[in-house]
Amino acid sequence: MDKKRAAFLSIFLFLAVNIVCLTKVIESYYGQEYGHVYTYMTVALLSTLFAVAAFFIWRKEEYKKSK
Amino acid sequence: MSDDKKKNNHQNDDQDMIKLIENLNRKDDVNLNRRAFLKASFGATVAIGLATTPFGVFSYMRDADGKVKRVEIADTKELAIGESKNFAYPTEDEPALLVRTPDDQYVAYNNKCTHLQCPVFYEHKENVLLCPCHKGYFDVNNGHPVAGPPQRELPKILLEVKNGKVYAVGREVRHG
Repeated sequence: MDKKRAAFLSIFLFLAVNIVCLTKVIESYYGQEYGHVYTYMTVALLSTLFAVAAFFIWRKEEYKKSK
Repeated sequence: MSDDKKKNNHQNDDQDMIKLIENLNRKDDVNLNRRAFLKASFGATVAIGLATTPFGVFSYMRDADGKVKRVEIADTKELAIGESKNFAYPTEDEPALLVRTPDDQYVAYNNKCTHLQCPVFYEHKENVLLCPCHKGYFDVNNGHPVAGPPQRELPKILLEVKNGKVYAVGREVRHG
């Protein structure tokens, strides 16, 4: 799998991770399990950072001028 | 109006239709293409990821406020086996129930039913916690619902028995 395709697909993976994390964070917040809130929030933020990196990799490859 | 001008205004060939279709396609291309789809997905990823942070901030604020309180709630001699006592923990607005079970264990739960907030009572004969509003039953040993409409467990109050006194030392809203 080339870099562009991997970056493209990984964004959807990170989207799925973030959706799960957000539901867990809300559940933990209302269950007053604050330890879990921090854990899932950290996972979501890391996933977001990776998604940003993947997006820039994809963009670089996508808009590269063909030789 | 000359014939030429009329022709310009009413073209009968299908050139116009081709242009119209072309324009429609172009609009679709701008709004619904692969690049736009990925960008929208990326935006959603970032938005959902960042949406977790307010919960973290509020959790931190609540965590700092809600230091574990140690509160004396009863004397061990006060309750016989199979008896219960009402108290409030961690704040005065949160009623709770202390039960001395037939196994001679002390257990305590916030006694607002997790269905519709009715008060929950201890039924000595059946050894269950009962919400009479809609006949919700909770297991006295762990606070989990066993029958009726409630789906979630009662918040459990952590206890400590020391020197003949029962103390509430913390609370777990989700447990087991």
